[in-house]
Amino acid sequence: MSKKKFSVNGNFKDSINTVKFLTERIKFVNSAEPVLPTRTDDFGVNKVAKSLHPKEQKLIISRIEEHADIAKSYYFKSESAPLAYFKAGQYLTFRLEIGNSVVTRSYSIASSPASALNGEYRITVKRISDGFVSDYILDNWKVGDKVTAYAPEGNMTYCRLRDAEAIVAIAGGSGITPFLSLARAIDEGNEDCSLTLLYGCRNSDEILFKTELDSLAEKNEKINVIYVLSHSDEEGYEKGFVGADIIKKYAPEGRYSIFVCGPGGLYKFLETELPKLGLERKYIRFEVFSSGKKADDEPKEYSITVINRGDEKVIKANSNETVLCAFERAGIEVPARCHTGECGFCRSKLVSGKVYIPEGEDKRRIADMQFNFIHPCCCYPESDLVVRIN
Amino acid sequence: MIKNYDAIVIGAGNGGLVASARLAKEGKKTLLIERHNLPGGFATSFVRGRFEFEASLHELCGVGPITGKSPLQKIFEEVGAADKIEWVSLDEAYRLITLEDNDKCDYSMPLGKENFINKLEEYDPGSSTVVRKIFDLIESVEKTLDFVEEIEDFKPSMIKEIFSEHTEFLKVANYSVDEVLNKFGVSKTTRDILNGYWCYLGQPTDELNVIHYFTMLHAYIIDGAVIPKGRSHQISTALLEAFTENGGEAWFNTSVSKITVKNGTVTGVVLDDGTQVNAKAVICNASPYNAFTKLMDEKDIPEKFKKEVNARTLSSKGFAVFLGLNRSADELGLNNHTYFIYPNNNNRKCYELSRKLETNDVQATVCLNRAFDDCSPEGTSILYMTSIFAGDEWSKVSAEDYHKTKTAFAEKMIDNFEKATGIAIRDYIEEIEIAAPMTYARYTDAPAGTIYGYEASKEDGIVKRIVFDLIGKGMPGLYFAGGYAVRHMGYSPSYTTGNLAAKAAILAMEKEAK
Repeated sequence: MSKKKFSVNGNFKDSINTVKFLTERIKFVNSAEPVLPTRTDDFGVNKVAKSLHPKEQKLIISRIEEHADIAKSYYFKSESAPLAYFKAGQYLTFRLEIGNSVVTRSYSIASSPASALNGEYRITVKRISDGFVSDYILDNWKVGDKVTAYAPEGNMTYCRLRDAEAIVAIAGGSGITPFLSLARAIDEGNEDCSLTLLYGCRNSDEILFKTELDSLAEKNEKINVIYVLSHSDEEGYEKGFVGADIIKKYAPEGRYSIFVCGPGGLYKFLETELPKLGLERKYIRFEVFSSGKKADDEPKEYSITVINRGDEKVIKANSNETVLCAFERAGIEVPARCHTGECGFCRSKLVSGKVYIPEGEDKRRIADMQFNFIHPCCCYPESDLVVRIN
Repeated sequence: MIKNYDAIVIGAGNGGLVASARLAKEGKKTLLIERHNLPGGFATSFVRGRFEFEASLHELCGVGPITGKSPLQKIFEEVGAADKIEWVSLDEAYRLITLEDNDKCDYSMPLGKENFINKLEEYDPGSSTVVRKIFDLIESVEKTLDFVEEIEDFKPSMIKEIFSEHTEFLKVANYSVDEVLNKFGVSKTTRDILNGYWCYLGQPTDELNVIHYFTMLHAYIIDGAVIPKGRSHQISTALLEAFTENGGEAWFNTSVSKITVKNGTVTGVVLDDGTQVNAKAVICNASPYNAFTKLMDEKDIPEKFKKEVNARTLSSKGFAVFLGLNRSADELGLNNHTYFIYPNNNNRKCYELSRKLETNDVQATVCLNRAFDDCSPEGTSILYMTSIFAGDEWSKVSAEDYHKTKTAFAEKMIDNFEKATGIAIRDYIEEIEIAAPMTYARYTDAPAGTIYGYEASKEDGIVKRIVFDLIGKGMPGLYFAGGYAVRHMGYSPSYTTGNLAAKAAILAMEKEAK
């Protein structure tokens, strides 16, 4: 028995419809103009995407502000295109050529998102011991200099869908900058959270931006600033370290989120302090930073064969320094941003050899681990290596 | 500097990766160029806190183990990538929920033809006879498509075979899904359920070509769907590894600045650093918008190509919310893998509503833990929600309003999910990332943040694309792969076009050698 074949409008009409199929398409294509289509960059969405995430930004240092002799703030204006807008808490990565090295370093933006729309960024660089790049910047950058930065990046930003409406920010040293940006963003009506800022310093001389912070707290009831001095007992300041007791004393009633940015010592201290508060993990956010490797007593020398677009180059490496650091010293440019293993921009293939990744710093994707891709910014060589960067 | 290759592939998206892997496997000296630092294009993942989020894949259809070796699985095996990917198969198709009171529904459908028909019978008693007939037609058109797929070198004699052996295909070839389902006389319930997948193609079923939709139903329901454990980044990286193992070279953080053409034939590319690379074939995984306006001289582009791009319309723009939740899927009651949440079951209306931020309530949401629970740490879960926008509403959003606008729309999606399912998730969000059309534009250069390539409109349905590609004349040396090539955007179609482009290039090289 033959099965009756399916038809939609009868065999004849279906056949006509199928023939139409060919003519329709030819008509459709021929009706269009033989001109170039819209450039991808000219679509409205792509324009905004590009303005938010430019490939790089050419900046000019417009002003330098000294903070005693501990730090300097650098103000930038754009050389041409408008500055990329950002979220308070994000950082800028700068590209520098120092001697034969090509390096990138990231600094949280201290100015507010609104000021970017007005054509200005501000970062603050603190003098630290052994600061190869920070020393270079503090000693060399002057007004009028042209520098290169990439688009703002970073995830320590407030999101009302995730965070509590009250933010308790814990800052140490120059870790104050993202929160100064956040305070301004709140004051300018661009963020709808409140901010209780617990700012830890050794003594009152080390406090950065005190006048600015005090005036923001003065005029905006959503902003509250408490200075906590660890090494001196001064009137009007809390004494000690920012720990569970101080947080409890100043945290607002109800739910709050803790944001932390500061030096390694602060993070170590908070590791034992924060659990005392019994907060869920989602209410605690750290700006990631690299703790670095525990230094070997006798650092070893290794070689890295770097493959770049089919070419090979052999460079020296040291077991106490990251693979990225070896690249930088050798003047090999990789698109590194965060230097903490988080952003993944420097992702490279470890063709052979062994690396050490400090605990907690391996933020690679599952498949990257499977196929031996590494983030050179948080890997230390433990043998000679072959790495394909491009 | 001048370098010579057999083939150059521009872009390591899904199409470019399969094309590269195929070329290298067939012994062609191939250079793959990618401007980003990662392979995959849309097919990637990202880490936030203790979660690794899938960037775009909901389910990969057409690989499923249900019917054994599917064409896609065959491609992965042939190019040497299959054993590098760990698949998890799904048994659930989708849960379909509508929001509006006057058209409320809540259907949970399984994968597998028999399971699907039986479940539909439960929701719509008496439907199985007609649904079986529909599945017969689905399988019949699939046979024709398989036949077309196997055509490597089109000869006019094949038309005769199509006309004698593939009459059902020919009859329905120019009808919409609605026209054919109406002919079958299906009930509203059956139609609503069968049309559930419409948002994956971004086209209402009154216009969407029936063969296009049926081939997707076949791929999901009959072939089955899977998820790679290492996210789609695992597929992308596996293809890249297979490519390099077979002698292919991949250069990342590298851009092509020009496709070179001599006497109407593509001869190679020039890179961002001025390097000239010559090749017999250039496979372009970049969109024609990029290829024609950034990479080629206008005089080199055939008039037909320009007309085609201008005649066609860009498809839906993407929006996604990625949530890392600090409770397990069990604790929260997230019992389904795929949730389709629509305003109502009239997908034309839903599509029109999706033009505006205020009225768009379409979402397809995945709880990855229902594919494999160890996708996130114990006591947590991953939920990602995708919406599509018809039109170009996002072009009105300025950089200054960008963060606020996307947060507000993400909030609406979360609210809609809670309302539709009765599951509270808002208080359990430990990590969140939001992707707007700008995000897709940023990472893939997608024009206007489009995620589905060209609209599968009546004039530009997938069958018309395939037929005109077979009989049309391309540009010697230039082959397109990926979301803007001869299929539709999406994982399986992009992998398929990559494979087809490589095969066409290899065939041309062999003819040339003779």
